[in-house]
Formats: sequence, structure tokens, C-alpha cells
Amino acid sequence: MKTRRTTPRNVPIVIATIAAMTMLCGTSFAKEPSGSEAALRASELRRFEANVNADARALGELLDDGLEYVHSNGALDSKQSFIESLTTGRRDYASTEASIETIRILGDVAIIRGTAKVTVIDAGASRDLHIGYTDVWLWKDNRWQMTAWRSARLPDSVK
Amino acid sequence: MNRLLPLVALLLAGPLAAAPRGDAASARAAILDRFTAALHADVASLERLLADDLEYCSFRGTCQTKRQYIGEVQSGVLKYQSIDPSVERVKLFADSAVVLGRVTVTATRAGVERTVSLMYAGVLAWRDDRWQMTTWTSTIVEPAVDPQSK
Repeated sequence: MKTRRTTPRNVPIVIATIAAMTMLCGTSFAKEPSGSEAALRASELRRFEANVNADARALGELLDDGLEYVHSNGALDSKQSFIESLTTGRRDYASTEASIETIRILGDVAIIRGTAKVTVIDAGASRDLHIGYTDVWLWKDNRWQMTAWRSARLPDSVK
Repeated sequence: MNRLLPLVALLLAGPLAAAPRGDAASARAAILDRFTAALHADVASLERLLADDLEYCSFRGTCQTKRQYIGEVQSGVLKYQSIDPSVERVKLFADSAVVLGRVTVTATRAGVERTVSLMYAGVLAWRDDRWQMTTWTSTIVEPAVDPQSK
């Protein structure tokens, strides 16, 4: 009966081959497919709807834990403070009519640019705002999550 | 055949392992370099630091292309007097980075000087072995010092 021996001379060959295969496999599997543009668009529209409905559960899924939300008046909210402002009624989005102008996806990061007509009730006073916005989304945990929001009031907006 | 395996392995693994990616420090540096280039109207540096598909959305809510933005800086329609930036967070991904921070800018646009404090978000894409800014967006966070309103 013949026994095949692994001689020391084969060891480098085996190590090099395993290393190469590991790198190849790692590259293939580490790159999780990013979310689609359709999914992102749907997430954006669902987020606007969740704002109007003060839907904390939906916003919990759609907003990144590291969210930095800068309102058009310069006020800054985190994810927690933003959701809290809606659920307590401190900020009340009566309606939002959003128009998405561009969507760009760079791997796991996406940028949406658009405009929105927002009616917000703040301290009992209703205001109609027309804003231009850009928001940044991340593909995390197999879903799109918004991590940054910046907006500015357009010239025809109320001050 | 076995003797060729290491060579084959290296040929396969080499390009994958060697491809350097931008890190958080270089993303931070790229954003700061971009401010410096804008301040000095350094068009050559802006060309290198800004992506061809740049969307430059100002605190006014309107957006410009790379060509439009550089054109304004180059022609002097937009002239920066001072830029005082800070980088607060860098979120790094495989080929992109999100940079969040604050900046106080004094600039003259069409002859009107204005100072604004902004919170910004910049998105960088790693292309051609360097970071290129592909999105800029900002919101005014403090009352502007506007000589016209005094």
C-alpha cells in the first residue's frame, strides 16, 4: 500500500494557493450587493410619508443611528431627537409633496437631490415651505438608511 | 505543474491585495484641500479634487455642476475671503466616504459680501487613486452677517 507524503517542499505551495483562494473568495463575498435605485426611491418616499404620519417604527428602520438632520432653519436633530419631535407633536408635518430630481448610487452610499413642498405646524403656527434638499443614504443591514439631510429654503418659500 | 502554483497564486492575488483604498485621514485631507483650493481660486487643484459628476448644492438650495462652480471661482463671480472649516465625522466605505462638518465662509458673490456658518455634508468617491468630491450640500446654521441688511 502506497502512502502519499506531504513533503516540506509542498508546504509553501499549499499556503500560497490557500492564501490566493482566500483573497479571491473574500473579495467575492465581502462585497455585498448594494440596494437598488428602485428600493432607494421607495425608501425616500416612505420616509416622507413616515414623517407626516409620525411613524416612529418606520423611521426607526429608515434612519441611520448616526443621522445628522439639519433643518432648513439650521436646527440640528439626531435620529432620536428627530423621531421624538414628531411623536411628541413638537414638530408636525401636515403634508409633504416631494419631487426627486436625481439619485446617484456609489456602492454602499447614495445621494438623493430633490425639492419638496412641506406644510409644517410649529408651535401651533402652520407654515408652507418650499425647500431644496440633498440627503445621503447608506446601505446597511440589507436596507437603505438615511444618514444626512441638508436643506435650504428656495426663494419662493416663506421666511 | 505544482511549481507553477505559487506564481499563479501571486498573479491572481497581487492586483487584489495591492489596490490601495483611501482611508479616513486622506478623505479628511481631501475635503480640507478643497477648501484651500477654493479660497485661493486654485483651479488646477479644484479640477483634481472635484469629480466630473459633482453636484454642488449651496445653502441657497440650488445646485451647480463642476464646470459651473469652477467657472464662478475662476471668473471671480464667486470670490472667497476666508474659509474656516472643521471636519466632525468621516464615514468610510469601500470606494466612497461621507464627510460631515461645519464651516464659516466669507465670500463675495457678484460684488456682495456675505458671511455664513454652515453645516455641510460632502460625499467623496475614490477614483483614479484619489478622493474626488462628488456631492456638496450645506445648510445655514447661524444667522448670516449680511452687510446689505445692516
